Amino acid sequence: MRTVFAFTLSILLCISAQAELKWEQTTIELNPASGDKQAIGHFKYQNVGKTPIRFRSVQSSCGCTVAQSQKNQVQPGEKGEITATFNIGGRTGSQIKTITVKTDDPAQSVTALTLKTMIGQVLALQPTFVYWKTGEEAKPKTIIARASKDAPIGNLDVVSSSPDFLTKVEPGPGRGEFRINVQPRQTTKPVTAALTIKTDYPKDSPKIFAVTARVTGASVAK
Amino acid sequence: MNSPALREALLLIVLAFVPAIGEAIYFRDKISWQSPVPASEMVKVAQARAWGDNAIWVDARPDNEFDRDHVPGALSLNEDRWNELLPQFLALWSPEKKVVVYCSTQGCNASREVAHRLRSEAQLKDVFVLEGGWEEWLKKR
Repeated sequence: MRTVFAFTLSILLCISAQAELKWEQTTIELNPASGDKQAIGHFKYQNVGKTPIRFRSVQSSCGCTVAQSQKNQVQPGEKGEITATFNIGGRTGSQIKTITVKTDDPAQSVTALTLKTMIGQVLALQPTFVYWKTGEEAKPKTIIARASKDAPIGNLDVVSSSPDFLTKVEPGPGRGEFRINVQPRQTTKPVTAALTIKTDYPKDSPKIFAVTARVTGASVAK
Repeated sequence: MNSPALREALLLIVLAFVPAIGEAIYFRDKISWQSPVPASEMVKVAQARAWGDNAIWVDARPDNEFDRDHVPGALSLNEDRWNELLPQFLALWSPEKKVVVYCSTQGCNASREVAHRLRSEAQLKDVFVLEGGWEEWLKKR
């Protein structure tokens, strides 16, 4: 009987215990503009308790995100924030990074903060690599380019770094879609080219993308 | 300490573990920061090593970690400099070779992301994620 009472009491104590470090929000969603190098989230908190709280550690789930606390100790009533800086680099799409904050708050010593970043692309290319084996028939291969809804791209300019590849741009089946046909002049010897794709939008700062075309050293099975 | 008190303390500890074990079992495959990778797309160090020259090793860790040390012959391909490093990797890739991607720990998601992008964006086949990553490779060096 005493055991059951003690267990129930411990459950009730856990439920009634309030974290003294109160967070404004533990999840932040960011939508950086095209070309931004970083996305920064500010996780604000306040010590609503009666004793100081000390941060033990602030750790990110990814080396691409640097999380920093303004202070090591938060006095009662004091406010502050953890700044999470996400380096976008070459990342695309939805990125979810977690920051684990450990404190000496007896009610809640560990808090997980989530930084959700949606990195939009003006132009999505599929695939970003086309290749032929040596001796393979030099048929054209197609790269599909899709403009994002808010990017009114009317045309693409494709330039090959090597004269060994021919390129041709055609309108695709959907709105904002293009077909980039790539064809090697020959497949008798290995050759590599970077294809540079330039948009006509935005007019003052067109976006440039790159894909790779190759005739590889591997031969087709005979 | 008398034995009834000890017994009750032990009982309380066991009771406290019940919900924790239940949650751990229920969420075992749902660790939020890791995208699930099918077993067929993972490879163990011994298997990857056995591929010898038929494998290309790809280091998905940040530049500073790659510069410090890496699997001999590995190519650096991380998402910090994806647009710059991908063409360099593709220029050396060969269709008959398998690609083994690793990062620093099992909790690191970079190798999974890089492998996923090589499969989906570059449409490469035979791309594997190294189980245990760089640390596991070091153990079996």
